[in-house]
Amino acid sequence: MDNVLTVKGLKKTYGKQMALAGIDFEVRPGEVFALIGPNGAGKTTTLRIIATLLTPGDGTISFLNHDFRKEPDLVREKISYLPEEAGAYKNMKGLDYLHFMANFYARTPEEEKAFVDRAVEITELGDRLKTKVGTYSKGMTRKILLARALMTKPVLAILDEPTSGLDVLNALEVREIVRRYVKEGTSVLLSSHNMLEIEFLSDRVALIDKGRILDSGTPAELKERHQAKNMEEVFRSSLR
Amino acid sequence: MKKFLNLLKKEIKELVNVQLIVSLAFTLLLFNFVGQMSRKEVQKAIGVQTISALDLDGSASSQAILAGLESARFKIERIEEKTKEQAIDIARGGESKLLLVIPSGFGDSLKDFKPSQIETYSYMRSFSLIGARGSAIVRGVISALNNVLSDSFLKEKLPGLDPASLKNPIKSKDFVIVQKRMAEASASEVAGMVSSQSLLIPVVLMMIVIYSSQMVISAVAMEKQNKTLETLLTVPIRRTSIITAKMLAAGLVGLLSAGIYMFGFKSFMGGIGGDELKAAASQGGAVMRQLGLYFDTSGYLILGASLFLAILVALALAMILGVLAEDFRSAQSMLMPLMFMVMIPYFISLFADINTVSLPIKIFILAIPFSHPFLVSQNLYLGNYGMIFGGLAYMLVVFTVLVVFAARIFSSDKILTMKLRIGKKRTVVA
Repeated sequence: MDNVLTVKGLKKTYGKQMALAGIDFEVRPGEVFALIGPNGAGKTTTLRIIATLLTPGDGTISFLNHDFRKEPDLVREKISYLPEEAGAYKNMKGLDYLHFMANFYARTPEEEKAFVDRAVEITELGDRLKTKVGTYSKGMTRKILLARALMTKPVLAILDEPTSGLDVLNALEVREIVRRYVKEGTSVLLSSHNMLEIEFLSDRVALIDKGRILDSGTPAELKERHQAKNMEEVFRSSLR
Repeated sequence: MKKFLNLLKKEIKELVNVQLIVSLAFTLLLFNFVGQMSRKEVQKAIGVQTISALDLDGSASSQAILAGLESARFKIERIEEKTKEQAIDIARGGESKLLLVIPSGFGDSLKDFKPSQIETYSYMRSFSLIGARGSAIVRGVISALNNVLSDSFLKEKLPGLDPASLKNPIKSKDFVIVQKRMAEASASEVAGMVSSQSLLIPVVLMMIVIYSSQMVISAVAMEKQNKTLETLLTVPIRRTSIITAKMLAAGLVGLLSAGIYMFGFKSFMGGIGGDELKAAASQGGAVMRQLGLYFDTSGYLILGASLFLAILVALALAMILGVLAEDFRSAQSMLMPLMFMVMIPYFISLFADINTVSLPIKIFILAIPFSHPFLVSQNLYLGNYGMIFGGLAYMLVVFTVLVVFAARIFSSDKILTMKLRIGKKRTVVA
């Protein structure tokens, strides 16, 4: 089966500063592909380029065999992006926010309703969705944002630190939701600092630093290659 | 279109919040309240005024002065058999704004045709313009009495001659010519009427531009502050649609807010001037029509087009400034340059004539897109259609350039990386 996403020799500079020095990776159908690396390694830049927020430099990106640069609108219809520091419109009620976002993707009112119903199920917020987003806790906001990202069953969900700032229970719930949707066919490209999360969620991992991919493989392969007990040791070993 | 309407609806809902409704309602109430208060004060000022009078002369002439004042809607409180100092103290305790002291010998001086003096003591209990109006009316009455007295003197000494002709042998009949039209009026009267006729244009423009710009700047800055912009930019809707929806929503809400503000302003002005202003307007209206100094349908259309283009320019500029702002607070300070750009032509149009200023200043004024709506009414009156359509074309060009620039920013990395901090650019690296 063809890759969902194929990235080859991707470069990106901000002025004179090199953020990505030519990276290669691919995301296969129905897998979770994780980017791990220290702060400033280029993870968020990579995710923002794939999410069509930033323009790519040199290199090629192919999404479902479509030219990424020429057809950004087509890409946007089939992906969803959850930024690390995302917010929702505080004056909107939770349900209104979901309808507002679903409207961009749905072709018919029935489809919009189906998207929203799915999101309501993901959030498990019940009647709280009838209240304004501004009154939600951080965990509730993150859940509604994740529900927004997954409700359309995108081909590729790009999740930047999906459990950032969440307590243990909320983080666990979010991970379970992500795994469930992967089973239903959504591919996930994620970045995280949480190595436990990486091991739990990811099918394959790429270690990135200074804009270059240092190593990649399944968590088991990486642990064996670096003779490490866990992903934290793999992380430390690869940066040496 | 469905996606655009979805976004437009959201933008309008975000802008029309409780704070805006409360602030507009408060503005309306405040204007109405101040207007009503002012109306009462004006009515008080133009109503019957109480004046204290101490007649130390008691002659027929002094009685005639007081009777004259009474016939001019003044209520005279006569202070009898007191000295001047006592009368000053008595009047201070009362409600009179003015004490009139007619000295003894006043009538005799008049008989001898010597200049006679009366003294007035104004009690300034407030420093408002309306409060000072009473003494101005007294001066008018005294001036009228002077006329009557001098007329009777002239009639007595030079019977058979018209005293008015003797006092003013040269009379002027004033005409004003505007292009090929002519009317009997003085230039200062016409200038005053033109200025009052165009009074609302700069106020409307200032209000709409400031309200709309503030809204569009806030709309972009709030997306940044609430971290919703990144998500919005990844949904399947064209970036130009995002810009258009934000500008259109801000324009519509700004227009509505300005309309409400203007309604309040009108009720405030109506409260102050009321019937007096209406009467003056109808008198001057005939002269203005005779001179062609009024807007016909095409005039209003041109004026409307000019205002509309100015609003579009302001919105496009505000959109770019909003992108530069880091958050809501910095967005508010970003509004300052825009406000100056509107205020500079406004103040220049109040104090100077664009046609007579030096060339560099003229170029500077005309380079500011917001100058053109201020000049439209004047140019319409004078038939300077080259200036009018040149201004419209210039604003259209500026708007197009700004929109293209805004669209480029929205379609590039700059929407996320460009931030302005007091004159220096900072690039944020992810």
